[in-house]
Amino acid sequence: MRLSMPLMRRTFLNAAVAGVPLLLAGRAWAVPNVAESFVDENIHKGLDILRDKRLSSIQRRDQFEGLLLSLVDVRRIAMFTLGQYRRTASPDDVEAFVAAFKNYATAEYQSYFSKYTNQQLKVTGSTEVKPTDFIVQTQLIDPSSNQPPAEVDFRVRTDTGKPVLVDVAYQGIWLSLEQRDQFVAFLGQNNGNVRSLVAHLSDLAVNLGKPSN
Amino acid sequence: MRALSRVFLGLVFCQALAGCATTPPSAEALANNDPYEETNRDTLKLNGKIDKYFVIPTVGVYFLLVPEPGRRGVHNFLGNLSLPTIFVNDMLQGELSRAGKSMWRLVINSTVGLGGFLDPASKIGIQGHGEDFGQTLAVWGVGEGPYLVLPFLGPSNPRDATGLAVDLTIDPNNQIHFKQHVWWDAGRIYFTLLDLRGQTYQTIQGIQRSSVDYYSSLRSLYRQMRAREIRNGRAPGQDLPDF
Repeated sequence: MRLSMPLMRRTFLNAAVAGVPLLLAGRAWAVPNVAESFVDENIHKGLDILRDKRLSSIQRRDQFEGLLLSLVDVRRIAMFTLGQYRRTASPDDVEAFVAAFKNYATAEYQSYFSKYTNQQLKVTGSTEVKPTDFIVQTQLIDPSSNQPPAEVDFRVRTDTGKPVLVDVAYQGIWLSLEQRDQFVAFLGQNNGNVRSLVAHLSDLAVNLGKPSN
Repeated sequence: MRALSRVFLGLVFCQALAGCATTPPSAEALANNDPYEETNRDTLKLNGKIDKYFVIPTVGVYFLLVPEPGRRGVHNFLGNLSLPTIFVNDMLQGELSRAGKSMWRLVINSTVGLGGFLDPASKIGIQGHGEDFGQTLAVWGVGEGPYLVLPFLGPSNPRDATGLAVDLTIDPNNQIHFKQHVWWDAGRIYFTLLDLRGQTYQTIQGIQRSSVDYYSSLRSLYRQMRAREIRNGRAPGQDLPDF
């Protein structure tokens, strides 16, 4: 789903404050730092929302969703996860899928990060895959455990003029890759019917929003 | 354990035969390097039933009877038993530094750690790591082969299944024969199962809850997880697909 205009404006303002001045400061060293500071600042914001016990569950969900949609390029991820079916799906089906994916991804990311609210995230570095494609490496530290920290990587693209998050990996497992494998398999079993995937994603988004057992 | 290795190889063989006996694989299955998908999905359903009606209730009783420090002790003890195999595989892969760590962990945890129930090695910075003969074969250049779901054991492939059989064979614990070794072997398998399932219970529940297609989700997770284990760390970004 396309971002609404007020949200787009807010996203651009966020980018202007957080990222663009650093982008202009010399690419060789500054661009990876833009990706790192983008992750450092915003993931902590997200974890703070999930940790905030003063918020009701609806407020928490709405605030997290607002933040997430300002950071994540949902459309790009949705198109990636459709795999080869994006070429054969009708434009209406694609739009319906992007909308359903947005709800599903928001619920899944919230469920994913909720598990780690008591842990600390530390940015340890970044790698440039391409001039506009970075992987920011972080460590998730559990203060109550003597186990080594978990590796969490964030893939950040800057080719639209502002940093956007396109994927996250926990211990080497990339979420979007796993989603693409699932969606393509589901479509393969359902004659490429994108509408059935849309219906399934909508049901899952509702279920993920419910408290787990 | 030798008998177990034979049973295990039998399972792999039966799985391969069952795969051959089904209808020809779809283009989708071939594209996913999963020509036995139909059989694999049936095996996953069978494993799900075993899990639901036998494993989960048993794990529930284990959690009820054994408090968390006791379960951690069991986990440490089982990990300590597998260190000789990890050491051998470290060496076979030419990972001398990691082999040294495995050896020191075995020495420290078997002595100061009271036979492996405690993990003082981690406390002094010698963290554990996994290694198995499936990974060794991968380091030697052996391809993974088609995806398999093994009865009782879950996601695998011919390389990893072979690796598991070799690990069972070379494990020095299985070379020591004493009067009650059958009970020792059975107990080790039983507690390994309880420990593994207890550790992964919430993760698997989360995957089942959020999956569009649980089967392909597991397949993707297994492949990505194994690739990371073989690399001993993060993937180079260049190997990732473009968005």
